[in-house]
Amino acid sequence: MSVLALPRPAEPVRRRALWLSRLVRRRATVVGLVVLAATTVVGILAPVIAGDPLRMDVAARLTAPGAAHWFGTDDVGRDVWSRVVYGARLSLLVGAAVVLLAFAVGLVCGLAAGYWRHLDNPVMRVMDGLMAFPAIILAIALMASLGPSVVNVIVAIGVVYAPRVARIVRGSVLVIRETTYVEAARALGVSDLVIVARHVLPNCLSPVIVQGSFVFAAAVLTEAALSFLGVGVPPYVPSWGNILAEGRLYLQQAPWLVLYPGAAIMLTIFGLNLLGDGLRDLLDPRLRGLVRERS
Amino acid sequence: MKTYIARRLLALIPVALVVATVAFVLIHLAPGDPASIIAGPDANPDDVARIQRQLGLDAPFHVQLFRWYGRLAQGDLGQSIFLRRPVLEAILDRAEPTILLTLYATLIAVALGVPAGVVAARHHDGATDQVLMAGALLGISIPNFLLGLLLILFFSVRLGWFPVAGYSPLEYGWFGTLRSLTLPAFALGVVQSALIARIARSAMLDVLREQFIVAGRAKGLGERAVVYKHALKNAMIPTVTVIGISLAILISGSVIVEQVFNIPGLGRLIISAVLRRDYPVIQGVVICIAGIYMLVNLAVDLSYVVFDPRVRYQ
Repeated sequence: MSVLALPRPAEPVRRRALWLSRLVRRRATVVGLVVLAATTVVGILAPVIAGDPLRMDVAARLTAPGAAHWFGTDDVGRDVWSRVVYGARLSLLVGAAVVLLAFAVGLVCGLAAGYWRHLDNPVMRVMDGLMAFPAIILAIALMASLGPSVVNVIVAIGVVYAPRVARIVRGSVLVIRETTYVEAARALGVSDLVIVARHVLPNCLSPVIVQGSFVFAAAVLTEAALSFLGVGVPPYVPSWGNILAEGRLYLQQAPWLVLYPGAAIMLTIFGLNLLGDGLRDLLDPRLRGLVRERS
Repeated sequence: MKTYIARRLLALIPVALVVATVAFVLIHLAPGDPASIIAGPDANPDDVARIQRQLGLDAPFHVQLFRWYGRLAQGDLGQSIFLRRPVLEAILDRAEPTILLTLYATLIAVALGVPAGVVAARHHDGATDQVLMAGALLGISIPNFLLGLLLILFFSVRLGWFPVAGYSPLEYGWFGTLRSLTLPAFALGVVQSALIARIARSAMLDVLREQFIVAGRAKGLGERAVVYKHALKNAMIPTVTVIGISLAILISGSVIVEQVFNIPGLGRLIISAVLRRDYPVIQGVVICIAGIYMLVNLAVDLSYVVFDPRVRYQ
């Protein structure tokens, strides 16, 4: 009986090792991790490995890729390599910030709705209402009222994905709150807040973590799409979507404006999807082997 | 069944109310009010106040909200600030290319995705499976607008098979329409087919493990009959769900792809409205697309009954 309320015996080293070795066992997941790590390194080292992404050199406009400009230049002579590298930085920033925001809001709402039953209806109706909009449409509408800026892009995409996290969390909480260990904690007089924080939250995390890399990927994609449409980050900010939007106008003369940022987006999303699949196989036993039949 | 449909339709009402409220609140969050946008930058405060009174913007927030519900219930989406015509009219004018593009893209997504998933499941873990699934993963990693640009680069600029951009309306003949929508539909459909292929494959794999498949094989049915007659039918249930979801995703996807190909549909309408801060149009398009999205999702739920007689609704 008393075991139920005791803190878990600590053996973090072995657990971590098992965790990691399972994750790394699949080659695809390793590829995903490597791609993501490479993007992160490029993003962090941007000031070292790239020049000024805003410096214009109109004399050298629309120069083809070469020794001076690895990825060529754009219509006002800005270095595309520098812009793509700084674009990686922006994408990672937006992705990470959206995951944090969506998880913070989604976890609080999901835990509240799942655990305190009288909050369920009001909270989840608002979430349903937000989810009734297609993601990109809601993001466009939010950007229309917030105005173009990096922070607003993060807020808009975060608001779009928070309800999706909330719904998953609520689903897990509904199961966990009926388990005997929660009942035992309640019987011992533990307060609701402590039960939620110590017993419910840790146990509903794994499906959420699986969502993490997919939300990250969706955030990177949505930012690029919004910027491409001209309603995302302001046009001077180096973003993959912005470079593509310029490239669309010079498709015939300067295809490199589309090819390089395009390759960067694809590679990043591909890496995140590989990682997401790996995490799902690892953390969600019900789905293990469903999407990819490998043990 | 009838009562179930009625109940589901009734359940849409609170969601629709929330959707209408969100669309209303969104616009009222915006800095700067529509009246001063209409009046223009040089207008004096009196003019702005007069326009505010005309539009009812001087009323308290909750009064405006209930007026908004009332107008929506009558199908009145208001007047566009820039186009100087009813929003609903503008939307109906622009709906044709978006609807055609969405349907065309869905067709391509299903035609590519379902067979790819079934074949991958049949050759489970073989080379065909791995190549197809790697392709599918690559497919969901490429944004539709990027694929659109690449398709233009290759098929229009290099090969000259398709127009670079633009839309030929149905009234000028269906062939021109089909030709102008082919590249955009592929840009949307190929990406979505990757998702469908992944779901179709895992659904097939699940079904192929069932007892009745073993029984079918045991009584000497050919592989073809087992896979295409017995397994495929059962694997369609999750697949239909994802096709429905795809249809809904493709409506909003076409909003982006229209921008790539300069197609004058709902997407171009909402983007130009955002850039001009034509709030009634933004609201109208958002409400319309959300409405279609909700109905499509309902239709998907109801379609289970058709595909799976085991599902009975009370």
